[in-house]
Amino acid sequence: MPDIQELPLLKSAKREALTALGIWLAATIYSLGYCFQNGYGRAPESLTYVLGFPDWVFWGIVVPWGVCTIVASIFAFWFMKDEDLPESGQ
Amino acid sequence: MANNQPMLAATDISNPGYSVLFALLLFIGASVWLGTLAQKAMEKKEFLKGFFLGNRGLGAWALALTATVQSGGTFMGFPALVYSHGWIVLLWIGSYMVVPLLSFAVVGKRLAQLSRMTDSFTVPDLLRERFADPRVGLVSSIMIITFMSFTMFAQFKAGATIMKHAWPGSGVLALSEDYEPTAAEKAESKNATDVNSNKSASKPIDRKYYVGLIVFTVTVVGYTLIGGFLASVWTDLFQSVMMVIGVTILVCLAVPMAGGLEQATKTAIANTSSDIAFGPGYSTIGREFLTPGLALSMFFIWIFGGFVSPASMVRVMAAESTEVMRKSICLLSCYNCLIYIPLVMTCIAARTMLPHLDKPDEVIPRMSMLVTEGLPLGAFISGLILAAPFGAIMASVSCFILVISSGLVQDIYVRFLHPAATEAQVRRATNVSMVSVGLIAVLANLDPPQYLQALVVLSASGGGAAFTIPVLMACYWRRTTAAGMLAGMLVGFCFYFGLSAAGWLQNWAAAAPEGSSFARSVIDVLGPDPKIGVPGLFRPYYIFGIDPMVWSLVVSAIAGIGTSLVTKPPAEEHVSRFFDVAVVK
Repeated sequence: MPDIQELPLLKSAKREALTALGIWLAATIYSLGYCFQNGYGRAPESLTYVLGFPDWVFWGIVVPWGVCTIVASIFAFWFMKDEDLPESGQ
Repeated sequence: MANNQPMLAATDISNPGYSVLFALLLFIGASVWLGTLAQKAMEKKEFLKGFFLGNRGLGAWALALTATVQSGGTFMGFPALVYSHGWIVLLWIGSYMVVPLLSFAVVGKRLAQLSRMTDSFTVPDLLRERFADPRVGLVSSIMIITFMSFTMFAQFKAGATIMKHAWPGSGVLALSEDYEPTAAEKAESKNATDVNSNKSASKPIDRKYYVGLIVFTVTVVGYTLIGGFLASVWTDLFQSVMMVIGVTILVCLAVPMAGGLEQATKTAIANTSSDIAFGPGYSTIGREFLTPGLALSMFFIWIFGGFVSPASMVRVMAAESTEVMRKSICLLSCYNCLIYIPLVMTCIAARTMLPHLDKPDEVIPRMSMLVTEGLPLGAFISGLILAAPFGAIMASVSCFILVISSGLVQDIYVRFLHPAATEAQVRRATNVSMVSVGLIAVLANLDPPQYLQALVVLSASGGGAAFTIPVLMACYWRRTTAAGMLAGMLVGFCFYFGLSAAGWLQNWAAAAPEGSSFARSVIDVLGPDPKIGVPGLFRPYYIFGIDPMVWSLVVSAIAGIGTSLVTKPPAEEHVSRFFDVAVVK
């Protein structure tokens, strides 16, 4: 007696889509939050530099950019699941 | 075009001699060569799938570096923004930190699966089969063809203009467009809204432009016609690699010449004001470039305009396997790091070396000539850097031609006009449609429409507004009905269009002469110019300071989900075909 189940690819694709959207949300909240706090309406004299970048650019954009690149690689190599794609037309 | 302003840089770099022309010819030659290789690669297989989808055999490099189609704007419009507004532009483009992940992880696998299940190779074809409703296919097809045509026509003009300026002695610096009195302000406005930058002409056009237009069109249509999808992807890959090499050379030379990055920022502050190191950005005309609301909007626009753009959906459908997608996420993430942050650093350094450019669009061409001066092969290197936008434009045009003509051939000709067409007829239809697309593009650009750029922005963001929610629904929600899809697409787009039109009206009213009662009542309803974002005629209307695209996504979701829920559920056995598998116990 065949049992009807959700396609395996659909299951993993849903999980990955939600995770990716979660990563986007986290990056957006952190990056915008940090930059709004520290990059807007600030006294010019208080600006310091990290590796040549203005401090808020470094901590608010460059660092999360690096983190996202690492997270994306981890996602790609350890989290995302390979699935068989059907032959065309099946 | 005569360079009639005083030279700003120390050296005379208005005439790079033959190096740029040589580099352009190199790009053209390489593209044609790749086209013939591609033709060999697809010869044996079924024509349509081979020509428009490369037999679903894209590898990781090809997928990664071509999926988020770069255009000339990456090398022209974006650097101009950094030069004009400073460090804040890195926040403007900041969501590119997650674009690679979202491009492949949200709908990639599922689209690849659905397109194979339905045996379709265009997006409208896929949607049509998924809902067993020709209306869904037809509406999405018309929308995609229309949106892409506007964007493509604009790119033709940019390509022709670059060719024109590449002639030795024509003052190559105005890589972007003809000079206008208020070019700095206009350039800022037009480039900002969409990185796919191009401008409307307002000057008489000379013969070199026509020669450029013809050469450009013949080349691009030619190699796309020969090699199809693979030719387009391979030339795109080629220019992406050239681009990263160019950017790396530039940043390595420019930053030390400006005395290091910290010194460059300090000099930039001294040459402009402290605004260049903070939000909302430096501006000479009292307009706030990136308010928090607009910064938030950009984190939506780049993401949701990206993964549903027809060009990137088609590439995902052509991916060889899910493994290829995984590798592409990693490759593209690293690639983006190497492009955007260094470009910003270079343009900040440009405020030291070229402190007061009248035309910010010229920042990359000027910098590349300045920093390679005196190097062995310096002229050649700067030629290559200058040719990179041209390569990018060729690559995106050839991709657009393909998507448009695949739409015309498959979604219109085969589906509606001549379902029993033989392979030879389909092949002829393909050739005819591609040549006609080229011809129409030439005709449209003989006298380029004044307000092309508005249509480009409208098409790119409007496409995202129209397709994001419906595509997600088609992929993951069983209950989605054909009516829900139509509602999501049409309402999303119309809402976007409405807010853009409201902005144009508001802008017109703000500039209208005193005493016009209609203009006054428009201002009464819509409020005065909020003085945010980019200047220009085609600024959209911002509700609460947020870009229309974000609102359109919300409205599209309400319309799509709501309509699906009130219409009759789709037949279970039809949905089951795409969602379920029978497991024998």
